[in-house]
Amino acid sequence: MKTRLPEHGPLETPRFWRTLDERLETPEAQRAAQDEFLPGAVPTIYDDVHGLPPQDGFSRRDFFGLVGAAAAVAATVACDRKGQGKVVPYTRRPVEVVPGVANYYASAYQEGRRVYPVLVKTREGRPILVSGNDEHPGVKGKTSPRAMADVLRLYDPDRLRAPKSGGRIIGWPEAEAQLHGALKGAREAGKPVLLITGAQASPSQKALLSGLKAVLPTLEHLAYEPASGDAAEEAARACFGQAVEVQPRLTKAKVILSLGADFLNGEDPEALAAWGAKRRLKDAQETINRLWVIEGPLTLTGTNADVRVPVAPSRLGPVAFALAKGLAGLGVPLPAGTDLSAIPAGMPPELKEATKDAGKVWSSLLKDLHHAGRNAVVLCGPQMPAEVHQAAHLLNAMLASEAVAVLAAEPLATVKELEAAAKGMAEGRYAAVVFWGVNPAYTYPRAAAWKEAVAKVAFRAWIGQVEDETSAQCQLLLPENHWLESWGDFTTASAAVLQQPTIGTLYDTRQGEDLFLGAIKALGGQAPASYHAFIQGRWQTSLPSGTSFEQALHDGLVKGEAKGVAPAFRGASVSAAAKAAMQSKAQGLELVLFPGFATFDGRHANNSWLQETPDPITKMTWDNPLSLSVQDATALGIQEGDFVSLTLEGTTLRLPAILQPGQTKGVLALALGYGRSTGGVARNVGTNAFPLMGLDPARANHRMAASLAKAGGKKELSRTQSHHRMEGRDLVRSLTMEEFAHDPQGHHHAPELVTLYEEQTFPDHKWGMVIDLAACVGCSACVVACQSENNVPVVGPEQVARGREMHWIRIDRYYEGDLENPKVVHQPMLCQHCDNAPCENVCPVNATNHSNEGLNQMAYNRCVGTRYCANNCPYKVRRFNFLEYTSYKTEPETLAYNPEVTVRPRGVMEKCSFCVQRINDVKIRAKGDGRAILDGEVTTACMAGCPADAIVFGDLKDPKSKVSQLRSASRAYRVLEELGVKPAITYLADLKNPAVEGGTHAV
Amino acid sequence: MLPKGLCMHRFDRAFRFVLPAAAVAVLATVLSVGWFTQPDRFAKGYAPEQPLPFSHELHAGTLRIQCQYCHSGVDKSRHAGIPSVDLCMGCHKVTRTDRPAIQQLTRIANSGEPLPWQRVHTLPDHVFFDHRPHVNAGILCQSCHGEVQTMKVLTREMGMRMGNCLGCHRDPHAVLPPGSKITKGAENCAACHR
Repeated sequence: MKTRLPEHGPLETPRFWRTLDERLETPEAQRAAQDEFLPGAVPTIYDDVHGLPPQDGFSRRDFFGLVGAAAAVAATVACDRKGQGKVVPYTRRPVEVVPGVANYYASAYQEGRRVYPVLVKTREGRPILVSGNDEHPGVKGKTSPRAMADVLRLYDPDRLRAPKSGGRIIGWPEAEAQLHGALKGAREAGKPVLLITGAQASPSQKALLSGLKAVLPTLEHLAYEPASGDAAEEAARACFGQAVEVQPRLTKAKVILSLGADFLNGEDPEALAAWGAKRRLKDAQETINRLWVIEGPLTLTGTNADVRVPVAPSRLGPVAFALAKGLAGLGVPLPAGTDLSAIPAGMPPELKEATKDAGKVWSSLLKDLHHAGRNAVVLCGPQMPAEVHQAAHLLNAMLASEAVAVLAAEPLATVKELEAAAKGMAEGRYAAVVFWGVNPAYTYPRAAAWKEAVAKVAFRAWIGQVEDETSAQCQLLLPENHWLESWGDFTTASAAVLQQPTIGTLYDTRQGEDLFLGAIKALGGQAPASYHAFIQGRWQTSLPSGTSFEQALHDGLVKGEAKGVAPAFRGASVSAAAKAAMQSKAQGLELVLFPGFATFDGRHANNSWLQETPDPITKMTWDNPLSLSVQDATALGIQEGDFVSLTLEGTTLRLPAILQPGQTKGVLALALGYGRSTGGVARNVGTNAFPLMGLDPARANHRMAASLAKAGGKKELSRTQSHHRMEGRDLVRSLTMEEFAHDPQGHHHAPELVTLYEEQTFPDHKWGMVIDLAACVGCSACVVACQSENNVPVVGPEQVARGREMHWIRIDRYYEGDLENPKVVHQPMLCQHCDNAPCENVCPVNATNHSNEGLNQMAYNRCVGTRYCANNCPYKVRRFNFLEYTSYKTEPETLAYNPEVTVRPRGVMEKCSFCVQRINDVKIRAKGDGRAILDGEVTTACMAGCPADAIVFGDLKDPKSKVSQLRSASRAYRVLEELGVKPAITYLADLKNPAVEGGTHAV
Repeated sequence: MLPKGLCMHRFDRAFRFVLPAAAVAVLATVLSVGWFTQPDRFAKGYAPEQPLPFSHELHAGTLRIQCQYCHSGVDKSRHAGIPSVDLCMGCHKVTRTDRPAIQQLTRIANSGEPLPWQRVHTLPDHVFFDHRPHVNAGILCQSCHGEVQTMKVLTREMGMRMGNCLGCHRDPHAVLPPGSKITKGAENCAACHR
C-alpha cells in the first residue's frame, strides 16, 4: 500500500489504513487512536476524557442495565398466569354438539374411479380424523392411507381463498358473470366448450353435466385420470366394448395370480380385508389362499407373494397368453372366437430366465389355476401394456372366475383423446376451456405443447383448491370446496353412497357442482338452488320405501347391489392382442411409471403427512428415485443415491437412483406425482416423471428403449430403511404352511429369563396387542392413522435423512435370501410397552414410567430431553423432538390437531402411547354406564386403520379377550424375548404358502 | 507482614456488616422470588370482572337451579362447558327483561355475536382433566370449585395444582358420598397427561 497522494506532503505513510482520516493522520484520528472507546460509548462521568459536555438523561449502558433488571423482574412477576384467558361458549349451540365430545358423520371420498365411504370424526365442528364407514358392506370400516391423510388437505394453507381473475381477487358475482358470459358467448357463436374433469363416479354429477349439455349443446366433456392406466381402458374397450372397472372379490379366491397388479398396496381396503381374513390362521388345517405374482418391479403385492416370478412387463403378455393356452390344453374351453394359434404351446421361454426350476413353477401354476377354477382370479396391473390386460380378461373368462367383478364404468379419456383436444385447442376450435379438479399442464406427457395449445383458447377457467400448473394458465380461478365441505353421491358395487359436508366452508369457496348449476340457470335452464337440493331431490325419488333421506345421510349409504348388465367378454377380441404380444420384442431398458404411494398422480403432493410416510417398499420419503435392479446397477456401476440421467425419446431426467432387490433385470420403475412446481410442500420435491409417459394409450405407463447413464454426483436419500437396524437378531419370523402344519410350535422359543425386577401387578387391566405378520401386507395405513390421531409432527427430508422422523409406528421391511428375488416380511414396530421397560430405568426425571395397566407412559411436561431412554430402548421406537416442529404452526394447520393429545414441543421425547386417550375415554364411558369394558371396545388408531385386521388390541387380564387368545396362539412370539423386557406386544409369525413341495419362496 | 490490627479490622468489617448484609440480600431475594412465583398467588381468590354481572349466588343459591342445568356437559364430556347464550335466553326471554344486563344478553343472543367470559378455572395444556368420572362418582362440584352458590362474583378457591389432584386421589373419602365403594383415584401419569 504505497499509495501516496502528492498534495498530502511528505508524510510517513502507514502501511494499512482503514479510513481516509487515518491515512491522512488528521489530529482527530490521532486522538481517536488513543481512546479505547468512541465518544458516547462510555458513561458520562468519564466523558471529560473527550472534553464533551455531560450528557443528559441515560447513557446506553444505564439503559441496558435497567432493561435487563426490568426484564428479570417482569419474568419473575409473570411466573404465574395472571389472567386465565377467555372462554367463549356458543351463542347458539348446535343441538348435536357437546363441546369435548366427538361427532361422527358418514361421507365419501373419491380418488380416481375408486370411492371410499368414510366416517369423519369432528370435534366442535372441525374434521380431525377420517376412517372407513363401517356400515358399508364392502369396506367395513376401513379406508386407504391417502383418504385418511386427505383431512390435512382441508387445512392446507396454500388453498385459494377467493375467486381470482387475471391475478386479482374478485367477488363471486363478478367471477360467475365472467364464466356465464364466456359460456353464453360460446353457445351463441356455436363454438365448442371443453370441460376436463377427473373420473366420474357420481350419478348426480353425471346428471348435472348432462343438464349442462342440454343448455350448452357445444359442451365437450373429457373425464381424465392421468395415473389410472390408459392401457386398462384400451383393453376394456377392446374386450368388452365399453369401459369397465375390475374389482377383485378375494373372499372367493383360492388362487390369485397377479400380473404386475399391486392390489395390496392399500388403495383397495376391500381386497386387503379379504386378504387378511384368509391369512389369519389359527392352525394349518384352515384354508389359506395362494398368491402368485409375475411382475417386473417389486410391488407391495409382490412382497406378499407366495411365489413370485420376476418377469419384465413386456414379456407378461406372452406368459399370460401361454397360460391361457395351457389351460385350454387342460380342457378349459376357450371363449367363442378366441384364437390362440399364434401362441406356442408349453412353457414360455421367459420363465426359464426368471427362475431356476421353471418347469415346476409353470406346471404348478397351471395346476393351481385349473383346480381352483371359479375360485381362481387373474389380476393385471393398470400400468401393464394393454395386451396383458386382455390376456387377464381372457383368463378370468375361461376360469369363469367368481373372485372378480367386472362392472360397467363411466368411460375415461385416454391420453389419445387429450392429444386430440390439444390439437383442437391449438387450431382454435374451442371458445372456452374449463378445468375442474385436474392438472393437465402437469400431467400431460408433452406439457409444453399442451400449454401452447391452451394459450390459444380465448377463455380459460380453472376450478380447484390449490393453484397449480394449470391454474397458472387460466384467467379465471374459481376456488373449490374440499370434499369435506361438499355434497355428493356415488355408486359403489354394494351400496349407493352419500357424501355430506362435515364443516362449513373455511374460505370464500364454492362447490364445483354449484358453479355448474349456476351456469345452467344463466344459460336458461331449470336447476334447483343448490347442489344439496339437487342431490336431495334426486335421492328422494329413488330411495327405497321406508328409508328417509335423513336415514341415508346418517348411514352415508343405502345398501343394494348396483343395477346394470355385466359387460360381456368378446372372445374374438384377444386374438389380435395375442399375436401382437408374441411379436413384441424387449428392447433396451423398460420403464414402468406408476402412481406414487404418497402422491398418486400429484394431487396429494402438497400433503406433508403422505410425503413423509415411507414408501412401503423403498422406504423413501420426500422423493421419487428411480429404482433399478441390482443386476443392472452392477452392470452400469451405479450405486445407491447416485444421480443418473434417464433418457427416453429425447426426454432426459436427472434423478437419484436406488437399487431395488427383487426388481427384474432390465426393468426400471419410477413413481409419478412428484416434481410439482407449485405448492408450499410439493414444490421441487422429487422429479416429474409425466414427461416420460407415452402417447400410445395401450402402453402409456410402460415404456421401452430407455437408456440410463451415470450423471455424476450423489444425493443423500431421505430413506428410513437403514435407520434403526436390528443387528441380525431373530426379529421377524416366517413359516411356510408345511412348517406350520408339521410343527406349529416349531419356531424358536427363548427360555424364560430370571429377572431381578419385582413382578409387576396389574389390578384392573393389562393392555396388550397382537400383530399378525401373515395378515400384514405393509401398506402403512396404520402409520397415517397414527399420525392423524396422535398429532405426530412432520420433520422434512433433511431431518428424515438424519434419522429424525417422528412416526410412532413404523413398518420394518426385511429382505431374506437372494438379491434377485428375495423373500420379504413386513413388521409394524411400535412401543412394545415392556413390563420391565429398559427406558424407564434410565430416565433421570422419571418422565417415563409404568402404569398399573401395563402402559409405558410418557409425561412430556417432565421430560428434560436427555434421550437416555431412546438410547436404552432395544426396539428403537422412541422419537425425540430435535427441533421445534409445531409451535410455529398457525391456523388453519393447527385445526387438524386432535385436541385429546398434547402437541409436543422441542426437546421432548415421545412415542406410542397405545392411544391412551382412547383407552381413558372408553374406561370413563364404561364406568359412567356402570359396566365392564367390552372386548374390542378400545381400539388404537393403528388397529382401527388396519384394513387387513392384522392388529388386535385389548385387555390381557381378560382371558376371553381376543388378544389373550391370540397371545397363546402357536405362531406367537415376542420380539427380543430373550432380553426379558416382557413386551406387551406379541407377533404372530408370517405365513407363506409356496406351491412347490418342500420349497421355500425362491422356487 | 501486615500489622495485626489492620488484619482484624478487615475480618471484623466482613463479619459485622458484609456477611449479614449479604445474607439478608440472599434471603430477601429467595423470599421475594418465592412469593412472586408461588403457584396459587393468582389462582386463589381470582375473581375477574365478567362481561355480564352473572351471579351464581342468585341462580344456584337463591333460585336453586342445578349446576348441571347450565353446565350440562359435565357428565357427557371432559368439559363441564359454559352454557350457550341461547340457554340463558330460555328463561330470560321472559324473566327480568327490564334489567340492563339482560337487555345486553338479549342483544347478544339476537345478533349471534360471541360472548367471551373471563376464564376463572383453568389447567395447563398438558393436563387432560375429565369431569365425567368425578361427577359420576358423586363428588360435588363444590369440592373443587368452592361454595359457588354463595358467590356473587365467581371466585377461584383452589389452586388446582397436581398436589390438589393427588391429595384427593390418594384419599378420596372426604369428598365421596357416604357408601361409595371407591377407595382410590388413578395415580398414573397417563390418567391426565398424554
